[in-house]
Amino acid sequence: MDDKKAAILSEIPRLRRYARSLLRDRDSADDLVQDCLERALVRLDNWQTGESPRRWLFTIMHHLFIDQMRKVNRRGEAAMLPLEAGEAQAAPADQVETIASREIMDALQAISPDRRAALVMVAIEGFSYAEAANILGVPAGTLMSRIARGREELRGLLDDTSRRRSIRIVEK
Amino acid sequence: MTRRDFSERDIHMALDGELPGEERMAYDAWLEANPEMKAKSTRYIADRAAMRAALAGVMDEPVPARLRQVVLGEAPAKASAWRSRWWLSAAAAVMLAVGGLGGYVAGVDSIARGGDGDDQLAEQAIAAHVTYAAEKRHAVEVPASDKDHLQTWLSNRVGLKLVAPDLAAEGFELVGGRLLPAGEQGKAAMLLYEDAKGERISLYVTAESSETSKGTYAAEAGGPAAVYWLDKGYACAVVGSLPPERLSDVAKSAYGQLLAGISS
Repeated sequence: MDDKKAAILSEIPRLRRYARSLLRDRDSADDLVQDCLERALVRLDNWQTGESPRRWLFTIMHHLFIDQMRKVNRRGEAAMLPLEAGEAQAAPADQVETIASREIMDALQAISPDRRAALVMVAIEGFSYAEAANILGVPAGTLMSRIARGREELRGLLDDTSRRRSIRIVEK
Repeated sequence: MTRRDFSERDIHMALDGELPGEERMAYDAWLEANPEMKAKSTRYIADRAAMRAALAGVMDEPVPARLRQVVLGEAPAKASAWRSRWWLSAAAAVMLAVGGLGGYVAGVDSIARGGDGDDQLAEQAIAAHVTYAAEKRHAVEVPASDKDHLQTWLSNRVGLKLVAPDLAAEGFELVGGRLLPAGEQGKAAMLLYEDAKGERISLYVTAESSETSKGTYAAEAGGPAAVYWLDKGYACAVVGSLPPERLSDVAKSAYGQLLAGISS
């Protein structure tokens, strides 16, 4: 196995974590990682040795994610009915989550994809503002405002959730 | 060093390791002097910790074989239906975000695990719409003037108690309906509606469904879109070339009424 492939393999856990934060569902997230890896391998020659495989791969994955989100938006985004309480499905056994984990992951999914990506890139994946701005292809100022708004939105959603839980509203 | 005024922006920078080291002490002092800002910082730190904790397990999971195989060039041919389905999950998140957090929980999971039933339903519904909504004189088999018969007939054939939704509030009047094949050997009811401008939408309802899913589907850019719901025992798609928000509104109204009828 050549060095490039070994370097890519070692990035898979991080790519999976980033994908999971973007999409939450494990299979969907792994599908995104798979699309990313397939695209990366086709473009292996574009990747200069010495360049961080992490940034290169995250950039590829982010483009895949954002392209699809734009398509989804064009299809019309307000098409969902709130699910009935009874429809809620239990997480599969291999995805056991604490209530706190579930709440924060739900909230993360509910903020806008651009803000979610920016926030996760910096707060979870540990990229610097400059690196994250580069990967996301936006100016640093835009990145910062996405992070700030993302955090604020996340906080608001979590507050709503805990308020709803504490007064035990059962939505029918 | 000159003192500078800090702001909320600096809370994020400090949190993300972007605050210059020489400003750290002044920042900490500012935070101590501003309880509101300090509370904000504390909260963001806690939220970040929760996020990290929720995602920490992913790093320890064994890498799925299919991902290793892609890199090592041992990838088996991928079934086309399976490919790139991840965006459906993303779509669900976007759609549900509009309806608030409460709706989200089950949505992504149910859609992501959905097989091809949803695509199939949406495609059949769109194909029926494209074929029949364009017909001026032969769009329907039973006209709205014979509504009672239409409902009884379609209910018996499809095997669901069908009540044609009243979409007058959305500006649509029932034109009539027809019976169509669905899936392998099932039947579907198509109800056609028209607004004052002659714009048509159709409802496609079948009992042939074993999945639970929901979403929006467009076979091609610029073509009609389907807003669909699948549940065990019935499925429904609302098809039209309306602006997305309007189609969504009409679909919600139609679905609510259909569901009330089916379960009555």
